[in-house]
Amino acid sequence: MILPAKNSPKERDSALLMAIAAGDRRALEELYLSYHRRLARFLSRFTPRYENVEEIINDTFMVVWQSAKDFRNASQVSTWIIGIAYRTALKSFRRQKNHTGARSLEDYPEQTVDPTFEAEVTDWLKHGLSRLPIEQRLTLELAYQMGHSLEEIAAITDCPVGTVKARMFHAREKLRQYLPTLGGASSDLSARIG
Amino acid sequence: MTHNSRIENSAEHHEVSALLPWYVNETLQERDRQRVDAHVGVCASCRADLTAQLRICEAIAAQPAIDYMPVGSLKRLLARLDAQAESAGAPAPAQEQATNRLPWRGWMAASVAALAVAVALLVGNHWAQVDARQNQPNYRTVTSSAPRPQGEVIRAVFSPTITLVELQTILDEAQLSIISGPTEAGVYSLASNSTLTVRASLALLRQHSSVRFAEKTSPEPESGTSP
Repeated sequence: MILPAKNSPKERDSALLMAIAAGDRRALEELYLSYHRRLARFLSRFTPRYENVEEIINDTFMVVWQSAKDFRNASQVSTWIIGIAYRTALKSFRRQKNHTGARSLEDYPEQTVDPTFEAEVTDWLKHGLSRLPIEQRLTLELAYQMGHSLEEIAAITDCPVGTVKARMFHAREKLRQYLPTLGGASSDLSARIG
Repeated sequence: MTHNSRIENSAEHHEVSALLPWYVNETLQERDRQRVDAHVGVCASCRADLTAQLRICEAIAAQPAIDYMPVGSLKRLLARLDAQAESAGAPAPAQEQATNRLPWRGWMAASVAALAVAVALLVGNHWAQVDARQNQPNYRTVTSSAPRPQGEVIRAVFSPTITLVELQTILDEAQLSIISGPTEAGVYSLASNSTLTVRASLALLRQHSSVRFAEKTSPEPESGTSP
């Protein structure tokens, strides 16, 4: 479906949600297709199985279908949908007993990685992120992968701004413990940002 | 106490440090951004932390992500909604009501109506075929001696797993509309809804792996063949 160009993404989302609240399944399909890529890319960083990603996305849109009439424009539609996905994902990840994100750095007190011995920065980062508590990692990924502001993350996670800051602080500290040379020891990198 | 340790123990240091991730993803408001700029200029610890956060952010952004095709997942969601509606005995969605609230989506209503016609025809065909089945031979042909629907230009067979969304997308691209079908053999009769030539519509249809068969069924209209 193609909407007139004059509709901004926010207006388009609001119009679709209003139609969904009235029972329009075509509007649900359109909203689903416009959010699927963003949500799938985000969620696939936490679980390698697409079945899990799909389950979370579809559970999210079941809630959207059932709760659209309760949306009160207190936040943007995108923040509301990602907030539902966040809570759904959190429940799903907690159910997965063997999910590596359920473990914390305290489980690996002596384990550190020197990036100079790793082929790629992404390798050690992947290891470090997978050892963060899930709330902390979700907060970090919402900021760095999805580009959300502090206030948006507070709305998505339904937490005070202070809690979001605290989760991010602990995530950064734990990554620093896991990756000691990340903490700015490299002078050439410091020079890059002047 | 050194100059650096005084800075790092200050309330300003702790507050600015907490904002660094959002300085990195460029979502801070201007006032906070200026505050971070000013503090980072005098705080070596925050400069180092900022470097680290930049590296993490860049590394996360650089990690490849797999793009999944959403149509199959959407199909399963719609099936869940159907099952839920059936179990709850819920009435059909208030489609017309919703469409009326969004006047710019009139064409969408037309698409829905076309699909509804297709479904109605499918159901009608099905019962007619069940009724007449005992008098029919045990084989099926794609062609038929029955009168063709007026305006039919193409007969097509799609993959049995195609979804309504995929079907509508393909038809929109080829600028075709369903005028009847599918028959029991899965044949759709399609009509052009634009000035696109039948040959061009056929070529567009045949690009899709979901299209198992597509053939022209009537001479191409003169208006569609002229350059």
